[in-house]
Amino acid sequence: MSDRETLGAALARCGISRRALLKYSSYLATLMALPPAASSAMAEALAKARRQSVIWLSFQECTGCTESLTRSFSPTLEDLIFNLISLDYHHTLMAVSGAAAEAARLEAMKENAGKYLVVVDGSVPLGDDGAYSTIAGITNRQMLTETVEHALAVISVGTCAAFGGLPHADPNPTGAVPVSAIVTGKPVINISGCPPLPEAMAGTVSYILSFGKLPELDHLHRPKAFFGDSIHDRCYRRPFYERGMFAKSFDDDGARNGWCLYELGCKGPVTYNSCATLKWNGGTSFPIQSGHGCLGCSEPGFWDKGGFYRPLAAGTGSPGVAVGAAAIGGVAVGAASAALHRRRLHDQGGEKPK
Amino acid sequence: MSADGVAGCGLRLRTGLAKAVLSEVARLLERLSDAGETGAVDLHSLPMTDGDRAELEERLGRGEIEATLSVAGVSRVWETRYAGVWWVRHFGSDERIAAEEIAITHVPQILVAHPADIRAAASALRDDLATQPPQGASEESRHVGP
Repeated sequence: MSDRETLGAALARCGISRRALLKYSSYLATLMALPPAASSAMAEALAKARRQSVIWLSFQECTGCTESLTRSFSPTLEDLIFNLISLDYHHTLMAVSGAAAEAARLEAMKENAGKYLVVVDGSVPLGDDGAYSTIAGITNRQMLTETVEHALAVISVGTCAAFGGLPHADPNPTGAVPVSAIVTGKPVINISGCPPLPEAMAGTVSYILSFGKLPELDHLHRPKAFFGDSIHDRCYRRPFYERGMFAKSFDDDGARNGWCLYELGCKGPVTYNSCATLKWNGGTSFPIQSGHGCLGCSEPGFWDKGGFYRPLAAGTGSPGVAVGAAAIGGVAVGAASAALHRRRLHDQGGEKPK
Repeated sequence: MSADGVAGCGLRLRTGLAKAVLSEVARLLERLSDAGETGAVDLHSLPMTDGDRAELEERLGRGEIEATLSVAGVSRVWETRYAGVWWVRHFGSDERIAAEEIAITHVPQILVAHPADIRAAASALRDDLATQPPQGASEESRHVGP
């Protein structure tokens, strides 16, 4: 596919009809909670757009984010994203290696100056002058700074790139920092999660391509379309929460019958992501549906919040801070958790406490 | 998961969501009737239980038209028993639902051929005719006539 050709013409040449593009746009509109009518406009805009150059940098990471995107569930539909982008550099997926790979990165930067997107997975280690992770003889920090200089925007995929993630967890031996600690003067979009939902990654790139602008972001720079609601807001177990019906152990009758997992440490009320609606493994399930509470993996510092099996009412900050056992019980629990979360948002410069 | 790829949460509990969706559909249908404005309700983002989904399908029923599309996976579209209210279900290749909406419109957009595809089809048909070798009378035509 020539990069000068419009996507509509290129797809037609491959035998992909406009109907397919409309179906893809309907799918994206659904993912991004856009008005259903937006899908037609999106399909038209995509048909007129040109392929988006993407440079993908992998730093201190586990490749789970790439696995998430490439093993997305509906190949004929979701693979359309790979027709819309030109993935010019990606360690794991590109055929070439060594000097040829680095040459591809530099060439893409030169040819698409001001227009390419940089996707980063993994945190950036700054300890010991960045010696903990180097590529092609330069530190991750050097590669990131050099690559983003003429980028349109930067997308941090996964909690490591967005917030530091697991490498950043106490005691943070490598001095890991998120991408936003280094990149200044460029828009940075965070698509957190460990791993992030593939739909959130594909949807965000397609949105930029369709509308020529960044999607609306929350106070942590995450697309509101995917991070606007808490897991709890959209959880099918919520009706039981409202009735004060809580599972007491992972294998009791309540757990099996869909009762709320709040008392078993579920972090759904303070975690913003779309797992409850988009689900995982082809829409099969998500952790809560499989009987385990949400770990809160798309939130900053989730690894250091005091234990996956401690109820939110026991506090998620330093040990000893507790809202109080009296809060356990239906609506009172919700009020305590919500107050705790609003306080945290306020501390992070977000929503003010009410 | 049901035979039609519906992956609900496995609960037969009816939460009342189906009734809320039906009220929204009724409002949109009146708007289509009175002002010609189309609308849609996105079902995929709603936390519906299997019971809610079954209730909604049951209440809307099936009407006169059903279509199956083979485009980037399968899509199924049917008009409900209420004219102008269409159920549009898009699948990925693995037969799981990727997007689903109730469209309140005269004809869902996905069924309408796009002008660009029509142009390409006209050109392709012209090329086919131009490149086909001349043929003699067909077997059938030799048996026609007195």
